[in-house]
Amino acid sequence: MDRRDFIITCGTVALASMLDANFYSNLLANQKDNMLKTYNKAILVKEDGTPLKEADIKPHVNYIFFYPYAATPCYLINLDQEIKPVEIKLKDGKSYTWPGGIGSKKSIVAYSAICAHQWSYPTKEYSFINYYPPDTPSETTKKAGIIQCCAHLALYDPKEGAKVIDGPAEVPLASILLQEEEGNIYAVGVLGVEQFTQFFDSYRAELRQRYGTTAKARELVEKCTVMEVDKYVQAVVRC
Amino acid sequence: MSKQWSGVNRRDLLVGAGILGISAPLLAYSKTQTRQKAQVVIVGGGYGGVTTAKHLKKENPSLDVVLIEERPFFMSCPMSNHFLAGIMELTPLCFSYNILEVKYGVRVVQDKVLGVELDRKVVRTSSGYIAYDYLVLSPGIDYDVKDKPFYRDSIVYNPPAFKPGSEHIYLKRLIEEFEGGDIVITVPPPPYRCPPAPYERAALIASMIKRNNLKAHIYFIDANERPIINAEGFLSAYYDLYKDIATYVTSAQVRDIDVHKKVVKTSHGDFKYDIANIIPPMKASNLLQEAGILKRGQKWVEVNPFTFETSVKNVFVIGDASQSYLPKSGYAAHSEGKMVAKIINARIQGKEVKEEYLQMICYSMVSDKEAIMTETSFKYDTVSKRFIPTHREDNIRKETTAKRYEEWAKGLWRDLFG
Repeated sequence: MDRRDFIITCGTVALASMLDANFYSNLLANQKDNMLKTYNKAILVKEDGTPLKEADIKPHVNYIFFYPYAATPCYLINLDQEIKPVEIKLKDGKSYTWPGGIGSKKSIVAYSAICAHQWSYPTKEYSFINYYPPDTPSETTKKAGIIQCCAHLALYDPKEGAKVIDGPAEVPLASILLQEEEGNIYAVGVLGVEQFTQFFDSYRAELRQRYGTTAKARELVEKCTVMEVDKYVQAVVRC
Repeated sequence: MSKQWSGVNRRDLLVGAGILGISAPLLAYSKTQTRQKAQVVIVGGGYGGVTTAKHLKKENPSLDVVLIEERPFFMSCPMSNHFLAGIMELTPLCFSYNILEVKYGVRVVQDKVLGVELDRKVVRTSSGYIAYDYLVLSPGIDYDVKDKPFYRDSIVYNPPAFKPGSEHIYLKRLIEEFEGGDIVITVPPPPYRCPPAPYERAALIASMIKRNNLKAHIYFIDANERPIINAEGFLSAYYDLYKDIATYVTSAQVRDIDVHKKVVKTSHGDFKYDIANIIPPMKASNLLQEAGILKRGQKWVEVNPFTFETSVKNVFVIGDASQSYLPKSGYAAHSEGKMVAKIINARIQGKEVKEEYLQMICYSMVSDKEAIMTETSFKYDTVSKRFIPTHREDNIRKETTAKRYEEWAKGLWRDLFG
């Protein structure tokens, strides 16, 4: 076991005690290639601070929250249909099992909103990467039910673990692992190829301006406020 | 980052050369050929060269990668029209090559390449020889002025600003000093670097004239029948926004330029100017001709369209100098650089790379706030053995497209130097 594996395992074991035993053991049993990374177990809350419930998540509305760090955005989407687990195979030969949707219909999914191509992400001013509901196809690619980044037209499938459908991205969006517990929803980890290192490297000046220090931007969160992207972002750029 | 370069650092190499005479660099370098480690030499630090260097090291940190570039700093041609028209500073377009050394361990050699000796697998620079196992040539374009010497004089007086750096800075100065009068902008026949660039430049300069309330007129003289990309979007912008201050002259050939009297003579008449942006025809860098890779009579280097490899094994030509199915642009060079990095790393490991068809995305400003765009995908037709492009143009000018354009460029820069 090398040092990285050891650290990941330690993180995993530490978290295991806080997670639902079945959820955790099933997930871990299905993973290889060290593509799962655990972070704080963070509760998803509404803007008023009360816990977010499944019923609060309207179908096909693009919600944003920040996890695992204070500055790393994620999208939460209720796809309004059962989303089954998928085996994701990467170009480098690695693979992982994405566990599918959660909730009573298994329809709720979450992904990192940092584009895996060149790290475009939603800011308060603009979001170039967005979810396109089934009734609102992209004007450019004519595809719907997708996550698309308008900068270079990277397309991801939220029903399939954010696999790359088309465009220049080499890897899927990283998945945010969600867990439901007594009606509350928690983010518990990240599965897939994280883009956090490149994100913090690329946006140092921007993050310092927004958060005061980059250390604050890198703080691990324990609570995630969920809001509609259209309310968070001044100009949602769809294309 | 290791300062050692194949067992001999650069200073030692130069000192050795001084003491031992001209054979010294070769003697010193002969040590490197005993090394088992594969070495890649990349010539040219534009979009293609930087991408190749970075991605080679990112995928295989133990690889020796040398990037040779004459200029001390990288300057982006994409978005440079923003700078010329005064809607962007120069600073965001410039990056230090040191980032590649510090973050990725690419050995960046600031030097002039004098030649390539394919039979000996060495690159000759002004300070010595550098051997390679794999060679990636990404030297860009030269202006094709041999048959039309009037262009040679014009370059000095009327900077084309299609090679990043001092040409842009001088043209910007001419534009800033311009107080009114006539402007001539010419477009050569394709292929040339960045197909929409002259059309975008004309629109942005027209937009600047309006913004500054200058008493001026642009004569936009195009060798082509219409804009060769996003024609509908450009033409509607010219008509809707600039018809009172610009004349678009199509299918016009430049026949002579009198730089002293400031007249451009064309097949459609003579045009006097106060400032001019004369864009000459272009060809692959002269370096490739001297290396024997660009054959006599050819303007661009023929490469395998899937691998960008030349007829010489493990010698690749990417970017604007190659003749591929992709247009000549920074975005294409970037995609080709990624592809070639994958191929070289795979070959070193004895693996093969799956064929990929690259895509193109291209944005153009048509005013200081609005842009249009094109996305092109390609399919290979096995019967005609050609790549068939499918263009998806968005010719409706929008401010959001201009914002996408900015994000498109920032993404590329993040990938190059992030």
